[in-house]
Amino acid sequence: MTQPLDPTVIGPPAPAVSRRSPLAGGALSRWRAPLSILALLALPVLLPSQALAVNVLIYGLYAVGYNLLYGYTGLLSFGHAAFFGTGAYVTGIAIGAYGLHPLAAMGLAVAAAGALALAIGAVSIRSRGIYFAMVTLALAQLVYYAALQASAWTGGENGLRGFTVARIGLGPVAFDILNPLTKYLVVLAVVGAALAMISRILASPFGAVIEAIRENETRARACGFDVERTKLLAFVLSGLFCGLAGALSAIHLSIVPLDSLAYHTSGMAVVMTLVGGAGTFFGPFVGALAVLVLEDTLSLWTPHWQLALGTVFILFVLFLPRGLWGTALARLDAMRGRP
Amino acid sequence: MMGQDTLSRRTLVAGMAATGTLAGIGRPRPARAAETIRIGFPTPVTGPFGAEAKDQIRSAELAVRQFNEAGGLDGRMAELLVRDDKLNPGEAATRTLELIEKDRAHFIVGALSSAVQLSVNEITRSRKVLYVSISQSDTINEAKDFSRTTFHEALNPHMTTAAVAKHAFGKGTKVAYLVADYAYGHEMLRGFKRAAAAIGAETAGEILHPFGAADYSTFMPRLRSMRPDILCICNFGRDQANSIKQANDFGLKKVARIVVPVLLHNQRLAAGPDAFEGVVGASNYYWRLEDTVPSAKAFNDAFRAAYAGAVPTDYGAYGYAAIRSLLMAVKAAGDTDTDKVIAALETLTYDVAKGPEHYRACDHQAVQSVLVTESKKKSEMANEADLFKILEIEPGSEAALRSCDELGHRA
Repeated sequence: MTQPLDPTVIGPPAPAVSRRSPLAGGALSRWRAPLSILALLALPVLLPSQALAVNVLIYGLYAVGYNLLYGYTGLLSFGHAAFFGTGAYVTGIAIGAYGLHPLAAMGLAVAAAGALALAIGAVSIRSRGIYFAMVTLALAQLVYYAALQASAWTGGENGLRGFTVARIGLGPVAFDILNPLTKYLVVLAVVGAALAMISRILASPFGAVIEAIRENETRARACGFDVERTKLLAFVLSGLFCGLAGALSAIHLSIVPLDSLAYHTSGMAVVMTLVGGAGTFFGPFVGALAVLVLEDTLSLWTPHWQLALGTVFILFVLFLPRGLWGTALARLDAMRGRP
Repeated sequence: MMGQDTLSRRTLVAGMAATGTLAGIGRPRPARAAETIRIGFPTPVTGPFGAEAKDQIRSAELAVRQFNEAGGLDGRMAELLVRDDKLNPGEAATRTLELIEKDRAHFIVGALSSAVQLSVNEITRSRKVLYVSISQSDTINEAKDFSRTTFHEALNPHMTTAAVAKHAFGKGTKVAYLVADYAYGHEMLRGFKRAAAAIGAETAGEILHPFGAADYSTFMPRLRSMRPDILCICNFGRDQANSIKQANDFGLKKVARIVVPVLLHNQRLAAGPDAFEGVVGASNYYWRLEDTVPSAKAFNDAFRAAYAGAVPTDYGAYGYAAIRSLLMAVKAAGDTDTDKVIAALETLTYDVAKGPEHYRACDHQAVQSVLVTESKKKSEMANEADLFKILEIEPGSEAALRSCDELGHRA
């Protein structure tokens, strides 16, 4: 891996697996989307509750969307809560105030998040490293305060309420969203479709270009790629998927807390991606799973759960910089490489 | 073409459904009489209101224990399922979903923040689960957020500000307001101004401060220059302690009397007697109520016996009264069925800690007394828990609440 030339650039995350490794290039990579969905089907059985399982799906998608920008393009954004929150708020408002069909509301929400990503991306994409992180953070805070002030629309501090979706009708069938298992499967269907799209994007020439930019921006530019436009496109795509995750969370929780726009929601994406493994396809899901399950179970045992969780994170950064999934993949590759 | 002997899809589905039904029938059903009454209790164990949450839990556990020691509901015992909502509405919603879907909680009690209680309310409303809220809010009374299955045991800013204003304001009193710029702060300001208008007090000026501000030094000279008779500080928790301390440093106490909508036991303990000396505010409960109210004495004695001589606090009393009233209604209904318990709660009058209370029919708000207290000087304190003087006990009445019409409830 080449070192970045600009000292202000926060080093792009170490790619867990190079594209040509036997494993990543093999069956596991080709079937990554179906395999991921298959693995996720087991969650409601394995986890303590279905509500938590749905959260894992939503935050998993959120982290996967974030990973598109951070893990694959190498841009560390600290403002992705803006897209997650916008997705959630637009869904809630579209259903609550305008009585839209939940799926139409979600479509609108994704479009709104994408438009916001285009605006924020256009302003921030030319800054690098720490400056990029700060600009995205500042712009996301702007969105946060706008939502706080526009309380007639958003419910302000109290959060958005009054749009509970009990069932989603799809032609002749209607899904009972109040049933936890049905809700899980509906959310999984959406998340699965999104995963398939992300997998396709990453396998496309565009996917190769963003990784080229992460590895060596100067060289990518010298090869004739329009780096700025590619980065912007990656930013918008990432915003779209994070907006979709937000829309799903609005449907799931039937409220939109103001916290969904707050900076710790942005931080959540970074932490989950790092714990799972930046730059791997399924890693962010593993990260979301690990973080949420730890939080859930630790806080049942002790009021000092934050201490334990913090220690775990520090240990991760020190000893597993490639994250859980990234390390596991690297181990597998090493085993295959040296029989 | 499908042959006659091939298993058609329809037959397969029907067969599977039948098997499933059979499996359901075959499974031994737990005897109804022995099933525990499960009460989910989401509360912010971690976060800035951790101390209040701890008191809520201790009092709630006491109420559950008393119910069980008295034989429960014909031998059915109650159980409290405490969950940390981290003072985060999203987390609270997840936790409530878990409590309802996985733990099969019969009832939900708890929350300690306007946003969190509204999120729990949203979940319980759509799932038709009974919820007793113990966090202060005006919003939850209003028709838009009202749920037939939700009861509100806590006071609301309208009640506390009215009681404080009635005691402290007079005709022509000049009042300056320092207000935290968020929903709860605005609700308190609205309550005070409404009471002031009725009494004939004047507004000398108002200043909004950001929620969670640490430094109030820029506001104090401006407040002083308004020359108020009363400085009304409308914020909560740590903000309250910080702003009162700095008002002290700027000598505002020498020129004006400081009043607050809610004077809390734990905040006063944290800030110390000097900063709070002479500050007047309202609360739902103070343990010295035991001097005049027998049920307060009984509550305190049970609490002291259970927790090594400690006295219960205001938020603790909410937890206790909510669980007690709920379990009394369960006993009256003779069942944990939501509709029956709602009917029982609507007609219930309970006196468990502070004199008689009941839930108003239209918005399920607990009609209860409001205490106006003043923080004591250090030299006047008989012991460490002797924090306040009770200036007045405003008796509970429906007239002290906003009318059902105003809240948007149609008869």
